[in-house]
Amino acid sequence: PVVVFMKGSPAQPLCGFSNAVVQILRLHGVEDYRAHDVLQDPDLRQGIKNYSNWPTIPQVYLNGEFVGGCDILLQMHQNGDLVEELKKLGIRSALLDAEKDQEKK
Amino acid sequence: KSPLSCSPSPMRGPLLAAAGGAMGGAGGPLARTIRAKLTAALEPTHLEVRDDSPRHGGPPGAETHFGVLVVSGHFAGLPLLQRHRLVHEALRAELAGPLHALQVITRTPEQWQSDPHASPPPPCLGGSKREQRHR
Repeated sequence: PVVVFMKGSPAQPLCGFSNAVVQILRLHGVEDYRAHDVLQDPDLRQGIKNYSNWPTIPQVYLNGEFVGGCDILLQMHQNGDLVEELKKLGIRSALLDAEKDQEKK
Repeated sequence: KSPLSCSPSPMRGPLLAAAGGAMGGAGGPLARTIRAKLTAALEPTHLEVRDDSPRHGGPPGAETHFGVLVVSGHFAGLPLLQRHRLVHEALRAELAGPLHALQVITRTPEQWQSDPHASPPPPCLGGSKREQRHR
């Protein structure tokens, strides 16, 4: 359901923008996703830009639908939309549990 | 080289002053092109164009990595993806050429008025330059 085209890997991102995507997903408890390193494959690097008609990497896809790059993911994270989109995929954001813990205190 | 400007907005700083964002006009040729195209396409009420190339290992004035903040009524009612596509469309030729990376922040005039702040870009982690060194 969550697929990311990035530079480097989630364990070792090689670009600040790609790293931002990895970190945001991690905040929501999303660690189990397909990540494709475009630096390993120039055809993939250009191909994915043609496919989405989007000029830059990273690219985030939710259930096969292109969502945007790092800037959009960051704004979705900040305004709560990411939690909602993950919920639609059946993924419960870790941030919801974090909030619940806070309410208990 | 350029004087530090003591301005409250987090998007401003020596790079922006050098790019002439506040003064509207200076900056390298690509910065001017970006500014002109975004102005023509989106009629922004507020526009900031920032050359981030030095943050990504380029020399000053490399003009490869940019950040833009566009405040425009054209964005009203549009989801984020469509807003960003409008910006990309205006800069299609540049993105096919020298413009390697583009941070994009879009706001409607109402959004900007209620919250005139934007997050700074993430730090560079080396990109393909680093990948080559590992091999």
